[in-house]
Amino acid sequence: MSYKVLYYVNQFFGQVGGEDKAGMAPVMKDEKVGPALGFDQLMGEEAEVVGTIICGDNYFNENNEEAVKFIIDAVSEKNPDLVVAGPAFNAGRYGMACAGVAKVVADELNIPVITGMYGENPGLEIARTKSLVVETNDSAAGMKDALAKMADLAKKMLKGEKLGYPEDEGYFAQGKRLTVFSDKRGSERAVEMLLARFKGEEFKSELPMPVFDRVAPAAAIKDLSKAKIALVTTGGIVPNGNPDRIQSASAQKWGKYNIAGKDSLEGEFYTIHGGYDPVYANELPDRVAPLDMLRKFQKEGLIGEVYEYFYTTTGTGTSVGNAITFGKEIGKELKEAGVDAAILTST
Amino acid sequence: MEQDFVIVTNNPQVGKDLGKVELVDGSFEDVLIKVRDLVHQGHQLISHPIGASMRMLFSPYRSVLVGAERTQIKEVYSLTIESGIDTFRRSTANRNVDYVNADDYARIDLELLKEAIKEHGIIQREKIQEVQ
Amino acid sequence: MNLELRKIEIKDVVFGEETGLKEGVLTVCKQDIIDELMEDVNVKSIKVDIAKPGEKTRIIPVKDVIQPRIKVEGKGNGFPGVTSEMVQLGSGKVNVLDGVAVVTIGDIVGFQEGVIDMWGEGAKWTPFSKTLNIVVDIEPVDGLDPHTHEATVRVAGLKAAELIGKAGKEAEASIVDKYEMDDIFTETGKYPDLPKVAYVEMLISQGLLHDGYIYGVNSQKILPTLIHPNEELDGAVISGNCVAACDKITTYQHQNNSAILDLYKRHGKDINFVGVILTPELTTLEGKFRTCDYTAKLCRTLGVDGVVVSEEGYGNPDSDLLMICKRLEDSGIKTVLITDECSGWDGMSQPLADTTPEAVAVVSTGNVSHVVELEPADKVIGSAEAIATLAGGWEGCLQEDGSMVCELNAVIGATSEIGYHNLTVELY
Repeated sequence: MSYKVLYYVNQFFGQVGGEDKAGMAPVMKDEKVGPALGFDQLMGEEAEVVGTIICGDNYFNENNEEAVKFIIDAVSEKNPDLVVAGPAFNAGRYGMACAGVAKVVADELNIPVITGMYGENPGLEIARTKSLVVETNDSAAGMKDALAKMADLAKKMLKGEKLGYPEDEGYFAQGKRLTVFSDKRGSERAVEMLLARFKGEEFKSELPMPVFDRVAPAAAIKDLSKAKIALVTTGGIVPNGNPDRIQSASAQKWGKYNIAGKDSLEGEFYTIHGGYDPVYANELPDRVAPLDMLRKFQKEGLIGEVYEYFYTTTGTGTSVGNAITFGKEIGKELKEAGVDAAILTST
Repeated sequence: MEQDFVIVTNNPQVGKDLGKVELVDGSFEDVLIKVRDLVHQGHQLISHPIGASMRMLFSPYRSVLVGAERTQIKEVYSLTIESGIDTFRRSTANRNVDYVNADDYARIDLELLKEAIKEHGIIQREKIQEVQ
Repeated sequence: MNLELRKIEIKDVVFGEETGLKEGVLTVCKQDIIDELMEDVNVKSIKVDIAKPGEKTRIIPVKDVIQPRIKVEGKGNGFPGVTSEMVQLGSGKVNVLDGVAVVTIGDIVGFQEGVIDMWGEGAKWTPFSKTLNIVVDIEPVDGLDPHTHEATVRVAGLKAAELIGKAGKEAEASIVDKYEMDDIFTETGKYPDLPKVAYVEMLISQGLLHDGYIYGVNSQKILPTLIHPNEELDGAVISGNCVAACDKITTYQHQNNSAILDLYKRHGKDINFVGVILTPELTTLEGKFRTCDYTAKLCRTLGVDGVVVSEEGYGNPDSDLLMICKRLEDSGIKTVLITDECSGWDGMSQPLADTTPEAVAVVSTGNVSHVVELEPADKVIGSAEAIATLAGGWEGCLQEDGSMVCELNAVIGATSEIGYHNLTVELY
């Protein structure tokens, strides 16, 4: 009796198309497509891929409810013992979609999930808690290795074997802290750890402390009535038609638009952010990026002026690396333009 | 000597004989939220918002000392109350509040409050009287 | 100071006409204990029972655990400052009834917890499932104020241990552990090249049910204090803690403080163990700042290279632990912290109430929310209400067959933050 596996890939690995097909709605093929075929071969007799779901990355991120429903229906049709998604390498939207698949399958259907990602993929944070995420390198060149690791883990999971430490098995620690018996009492381990510190030897802390990225705040503005204030948002507010094609999740770029003379963003801007219900933002984008309020303050003399350019990007699923880059680039422009402070809104 | 603290509490056994009482009509968590609001308004956080053991987190009652006047918003106070609320929520997520032993918790909360007031009294700043 | 702990191996405990020891079997005269403890007018009744490893017996709610001993050479029998007259402890010869523990039960408040299962799954999680336990149930007279009630139960337990300890007066020890440590300068003269290490022992010091005592002085009243390790091994520190079952330092664990013992083992070999600093965990923030500054200053004054810091409790003491750590590390002193954590039922929550990046070396003694299943006991020594409290933790605690699920924080000594027990936490 071999186990059944349901496989999820995006439009590219599903061999449908590239960026142009990122909006495709999910389909389920009975055949094994792309990585699903490789995975199936690696599993040999032990399991069989009984179907491949192919879904556009943009579609999954922008139509989450429908996509999730499709997954649930597909699972009840095929009744798999395991769901495999990706590997997504460093592709942010693909990673977010895999995380979405993992979340619904683990939480609502109680079926184990395996996927694969590069360490910086923004989908990792959620995916790792809901599935086993194998560590891959950052491009599809690593497909062979990734699938091999995923298949190894799958075999162990299906047989109910106990897994070793994440670092040994090649997956990202899920953050589960398990209480177990040690062969040494706590105080003995403590004394040994101290001796290791004295000798400059390596030791492993049993309770790693989270490291928070701290940014020193700039000095407060002395006279707000003379200040030049810029408006920046990660709420995905863009001019109608999204001329610069800013992504709705896992943004790869930011946009800069002239708002001189405008009292509000209404009518000319809308939202492309895939992480919230767009109705109210589309009605009045100032709800997300309050240009109307800034203009009001300007007229009342509360602030000096509003900087003529408005900066925007999408926050959801955007990698920390990209966010740092965007922040530095936008910050540099604002500083060169003599802006005193920026209002940064998020959602 | 003027008293410089207020007792934020939902414990019915805490009487006005101990000092100014800000009675919160609600749960342990509501008391913490009230303390948080006061701290954000600049009141000193005098006693730590949560107890020293898991058991005490299941108490229906909690009393916390804050400064009576708005002085200055200090980061350590805001961080302490915010992480106190976070710890409370995480630790009690799956647990029932222990109403069966409510009276006992009320008594112990009162005792601990008295000790906190005593502790605070050690470093209460005396107002120096001008010599006539 | 020169202290000898002479361990007499006890193989069994039985009730009998006269308290005595013969060929490894301890006989306890129940009536003698009852008579002696009833001398306190505040005691209404005393019950004594025995629980042995392997028996399907559950003891609940445990107030304290004390090791019975007798000083055969030198001054300071009993617990000076509490049950006997004030005397400098830390020297002499002490006969120890090894493998026996006096366990007191009798709750001051209904929510007291602390379970010891002598068999099965529950036994793995407490070190006191391996000791021959003489369980003393102390019921005070009605109408006592809570402070007097607590003191009555506390002192009665200590007296019981003293009384039983007398049985060891003439006995032969099978192991003799010697603890010899001179003053800091002499020891440093002997081992000039060894790193100097201090042990900072934090004690919950916040009020009723949350107390510790040093020579009878309530730890809430003290500034961080230097004490010779021999003093604690000789009974100078006792527990007044009735709340944190999993990580409170019972009197037995003070008498056998594992951090002190493990540091002592290395003294003169890998380290120069300079002493113990007892640090109270206070309630107010100003009190905490003062205590943490003072503790770090004492460490600097001693010129130590490294410090082991242990905590007692969970919640607000996490702040003190990390503040002490930060101050020490900022002074160039290397620290190792011993603490338990609360990472939720699934182990996925943030483990400590506070964090600080300086805490690079931490020993975790377990997740206090780890859920264990306790089978139904044949015999329960203690109160049914305590079982109900334990079982009332959340819906479904008590199962139809009488077995219970409870969190580790209700099991005595499970996550001992002096590292007494052998739990750890691994990340998956």
